[in-house]
Amino acid sequence: MARMKFYCDAERCIECNACVTACKNENDIPWGVNRRRVVTIKDGEQGERSLSVACMHCSDAPCAAVCPVDCFYTTGDGIVLHDKDICIGCGYCFYACPFGAPQFPEEAAFASRGKMDKCTFCAGGPEVDNSSDEFKKYGRNRIAEGKLPLCAEMCSTKALLAGDSDVLSDIYRKRVINRGASAFDWGVSFDKAKLSG
Amino acid sequence: MRIQTLLLLLCLALLQFQAYAADRPPPAPGMVSTVPGADLWREVRQRDGMIIDGISQVKGVDTGVLINAQGDKWARFRINNPVKHAPTVIIAVVLVLLLFYVIRGKVGIEGGLSGRMVLRFTDFERILHWTLAIVFLFLAITGLVLLVGRPLLIPLFGKSAFSMLASASKESHNLFGPIFLVSLLMMLYSFARRNIYEKGDLTWLLKGGGFIGKGHVSGGFFNMGEKSWYWLVILVGLVISISGLILVSPNFGQGRVIMGISHVVHVLGAIILMAVSIGHMYMGSIGTEGSSEAMKSGYVDINWVEAHHDRWAKECHQKDQVISAEEFARLQGTSLDRANVEATEQAK
Repeated sequence: MARMKFYCDAERCIECNACVTACKNENDIPWGVNRRRVVTIKDGEQGERSLSVACMHCSDAPCAAVCPVDCFYTTGDGIVLHDKDICIGCGYCFYACPFGAPQFPEEAAFASRGKMDKCTFCAGGPEVDNSSDEFKKYGRNRIAEGKLPLCAEMCSTKALLAGDSDVLSDIYRKRVINRGASAFDWGVSFDKAKLSG
Repeated sequence: MRIQTLLLLLCLALLQFQAYAADRPPPAPGMVSTVPGADLWREVRQRDGMIIDGISQVKGVDTGVLINAQGDKWARFRINNPVKHAPTVIIAVVLVLLLFYVIRGKVGIEGGLSGRMVLRFTDFERILHWTLAIVFLFLAITGLVLLVGRPLLIPLFGKSAFSMLASASKESHNLFGPIFLVSLLMMLYSFARRNIYEKGDLTWLLKGGGFIGKGHVSGGFFNMGEKSWYWLVILVGLVISISGLILVSPNFGQGRVIMGISHVVHVLGAIILMAVSIGHMYMGSIGTEGSSEAMKSGYVDINWVEAHHDRWAKECHQKDQVISAEEFARLQGTSLDRANVEATEQAK
């Protein structure tokens, strides 16, 4: 069976945030909840890179392991989803996730966070596929329609890839081969010290 | 002639090679890596623990952090330590006390109870104690539901029913937590002076508190064991309360690392208090003859005081605070016959 994964090509990401906007729009996400975000490292410096991060749909998901009510499940495609009806909004999945994928809609007294919301790989949730209930709670179910997540579809530079991990690996491998050693990258063609001299 | 020409040509050729070797630039230094940004990604992967902070146009708590390596560590720690061992620890304490009761039995009073009572705890102190105790037990139970409910209770109730129980536990746990802190601070104020360690406490400890053997051990208003339990409750209780306050108010922008540490401290403190409180509950109920009356009516038998807190007994006699059984019955609002006064003293 396919194993669905995301892959963000840091060499292509231009921090346009189209993926963020597409996700927010398609899934009708409320204010304050950010399923996907673009993180830029070394902003303004040499070696600046941007990555689009949402749920990584880990094989051994720490969120699923730590949940006190066991509300997570993994589909046959390897997509990690959760059941909002069982979620108690304790926040443990957010503490455990290395990528900060779980989000909470409320910030009320006594840590009332509301139900956890996260990237679903556009695969909805445990409700009936493409029902209005499912859309209200989890957003669009594109996988059930045979499509791929909208963030990857909307990526302007095709930095963000989503799909079967074998296919993604193939695409990325071809890219790496075609790039070779980039003649314009500092560390490869030029010695930094000699340049200034 | 030909050989000479040949040799000359050879020399000229060699000279050319020589010239060529002198002009050639030194070979370029070896290239480090052809993967752009290898050093950057090594830092991002954080195998050596450094957290790389970036920026994100999406604003929120920790949104600039690309990878939080502590998160998985915390999750694994929680699953492999408190969740795995908390039930074992609690059941072990219960079994040990059961064994102790079976072997040693109830610690009796020489000469039995007299029926003459002395006031030990005022109404306010008793109400404070029971408030703290009941709130603590409630917090312990709801906390345990959240900690070990998944492996122990989901198989019994199913996911939906357990989710409702867990949600109710979480909300009420968060609500009663601050009440625990308030009661704890009031307890600190009420009892701190009587719990300061003094001369005679070390002797009490070295003599094993009278648990081993039948020797008489001297004690003040509170003996060393009680004082130690008090300070354990205050200190560990404060630690639990403060970490609990951090956990219950995520709106101050604490990151995941602080939450993880607070949670670990909170759970470990709670397990310690739960374990030792079982011992306290044992001592205050069936462990010693005459002790339970202290928190029921506030009065204790004078023989019990002589046996366990003789330094305080001296004070009671000096200040003439001992009341008769009839007086005690009158205070309880009943006659002596129907009063809940135990008088097992043989010489009467």
